[in-house]
Amino acid sequence: MSKRQLAMVMDLNKCIGCQTCTVACKTQWTNRNGREYMYWNNVETYPGTGYPKNWMELGGGFDESGDLQAGVVPNIEADYGVPWDYNHDQLQFGAQLKPDVEPTWGPNWDEDEGAGDFPNDNYFFYIPRICNHCSNPGCLSACPRDAIFKRDQDGVVLVDLDRCQGYRYCIAGCPYKKIYFNPKISKSEKCILCFPRVEKGLPPACAQQCVGRIRFVGFLDDEEGQVHKLVHKYKVALPLRSDYGTQPNVYYVPPTEAPPKFDAEGRIIEGSNRVPVEELELLFGPQVHDAMKTLRAEMKKRKETGKSELMDILIAYKHSDMFRLDQEYYQSIAKREGLSLAPIDNRYMQGKNSPNKFKFKVVEYD
Amino acid sequence: MTKRTTALLATSLAASALLADGVVLVQKSERDVTKLTPTSKAWEYVKATTIHLYPQTALVMNDKRANELNRNAKAKEARVKAIHDDKNIAFLLEWPDGTRSIQRGYKSDRYADGFAVQLPVNYEDPKKLPYIGMGSDGRPVVIHLQKAVEKIYEPNGNGDVSMQQNVLSKNAFGDSAEEFALKVGALAVKDYQRSFVSEGFRSMTEIKDGSEKFDADMSYSENVWRGTLTRPLKDSYLNLKGAFPVAFAVWDGARLNRDGQKLLSGWIAVKLVDSNGGEKLVAELTAAAEGDAEHGKELIEQNGCTGCHHISGLSGANYMAPGLDNVGGYSTSAYLRESLVDPSAVVVPGYNRNAHPSAVWYNLDHGKRVSTMPPYPLDDKSLDDMVAYLKTLKSEVK
Repeated sequence: MSKRQLAMVMDLNKCIGCQTCTVACKTQWTNRNGREYMYWNNVETYPGTGYPKNWMELGGGFDESGDLQAGVVPNIEADYGVPWDYNHDQLQFGAQLKPDVEPTWGPNWDEDEGAGDFPNDNYFFYIPRICNHCSNPGCLSACPRDAIFKRDQDGVVLVDLDRCQGYRYCIAGCPYKKIYFNPKISKSEKCILCFPRVEKGLPPACAQQCVGRIRFVGFLDDEEGQVHKLVHKYKVALPLRSDYGTQPNVYYVPPTEAPPKFDAEGRIIEGSNRVPVEELELLFGPQVHDAMKTLRAEMKKRKETGKSELMDILIAYKHSDMFRLDQEYYQSIAKREGLSLAPIDNRYMQGKNSPNKFKFKVVEYD
Repeated sequence: MTKRTTALLATSLAASALLADGVVLVQKSERDVTKLTPTSKAWEYVKATTIHLYPQTALVMNDKRANELNRNAKAKEARVKAIHDDKNIAFLLEWPDGTRSIQRGYKSDRYADGFAVQLPVNYEDPKKLPYIGMGSDGRPVVIHLQKAVEKIYEPNGNGDVSMQQNVLSKNAFGDSAEEFALKVGALAVKDYQRSFVSEGFRSMTEIKDGSEKFDADMSYSENVWRGTLTRPLKDSYLNLKGAFPVAFAVWDGARLNRDGQKLLSGWIAVKLVDSNGGEKLVAELTAAAEGDAEHGKELIEQNGCTGCHHISGLSGANYMAPGLDNVGGYSTSAYLRESLVDPSAVVVPGYNRNAHPSAVWYNLDHGKRVSTMPPYPLDDKSLDDMVAYLKTLKSEVK
């Protein structure tokens, strides 16, 4: 457990599935050097196969007694999808536009399909997913090389690329399949919560670029912060599949506000909701009922009185309130540890500057 | 890796009749042994020692498919040859593998065949050798690893940050884009050949400062891999003289082998024929078990060992402590005895304790690992018998 924990809240009622977050992340981190197929941030349609395909069925995470569960390492072609390109430079010579590989699968292959019968009760919603920077990470537990670590200062989970040997047990161990194998360097890589940005006081790229302003970023122990209020004060933001036992630190405001269903004649069924509550319970646990109650009550309160702190937070007026990153805090760590630059985690470079070759420090987890 | 040699090495091999089977006898050559490759003719003149490689079953890894594929993995018979010159020693390991698996291409779930050679930093006391699984606290080992992985791209190794950009960010089109791709490709020059120091599972750390000079290579033909390792007899990590122990491990990529999912040997005695000393070590590593294995089995059952350890046929499905099914294949008698009398002498830092909070096999006492297994200070005869039984626990050889 880290000293402090940085967390993100995503309001699923407001996600429009525009993939701006996906692109922000991709251009920042994953469009090169073996990471092309990776989406550290992806937005998937639920219900749907997700990314990688059927990730919820691929194992990993912990059982009730806390034992790490075996999992599966997905295949690039079949489960993630090989990135392809088009022959744009040939078009001027009269060529037909075609992809450079035969696409058989890709992320969002089933985008916007959802479930149910159109137009009566079909439904879907979007789930943007990044690494959950769990308090009990499955990837970290699975690593036989102690190459994955959780930073003390903010709980960001990182891969020490000097120690990683590319065994991929972390991928099997992560129930969210949010750690990936880079075949070009034969090592695992994952979302770093944009720590170099965060240390400079900037939010992660996915949060900064979000046009729906659905993402809140801050420390969970910062009681003035909106993240703390959504998670702990109002308890309307819930972790995804907390039954996997990894204690995720990305929280979701469940999609409560779906349109009503239609009857056979196409008339609105009053009081109905297209998103089955059982599905929400599967994703966000039984607490989803209380969260929905609170959300509706506060919405009503706002309508009647014009006042609701929760609704004001969810409207997301100002980035400066949504992102509370405490640059001072990071700078003070840098100063204390004598780091001259932005405080990069020193274990990130451990292999390069471990002078005493016979002295090992195996981190023990209590 | 590109070395080729047809040099014939001096081969007068007078096998010492005093030494038992299972010892790798190393003659001295007048030629430079670092020139040897897996296909060098010279190896034909070096006597081979047969060894056995057993599946690692102390720990179960968390890859579902790999576990299914390796559930009933069998041991393999391999052959070891070694030869040295003034400064260096060369090993050849030949092991059967019906599938040639090379990790290459844009794949996430392919694994490479490979092999490793493990050497202890300190081997003066043959009864206190490092733990076979990558050493133990205060008993470091050096491990050399070669895997059949295509050249690895490591631009950061040279600090070529500008070459890490996507071509789309380079303002390059047509020919200039191709030129950029070629330049990036040329940076992929790293062979998957690594040296590590380790004081136990999880502590393994790559030696990256160039202080460990070695070369390894692999070659496949007719369902057999041949791997060579050449390294100095003496450097800042090791001082190999007289007789010293060595251990080997092999990985089968087709069975999703990597890391702990592997076959490994126990400590094998290597005797430098023209160098004095090491008789005690050779005697220790080649001694036949003295005890009464049948009686040992009874004692193992009486003392409740199978309550925590898994022994096929004796234990149930759930167990918390290291599995013992192949412990006789890769452990020395001295280690087994030590583990019975003083279980905390070697406690593998182990599987991250987050992974098994309900089955913790050690607790921390002021930073020292204390095994949850109580000591069994039995009489010598009983210990001998139990060790004799444990030495029989190993998979059959395929």
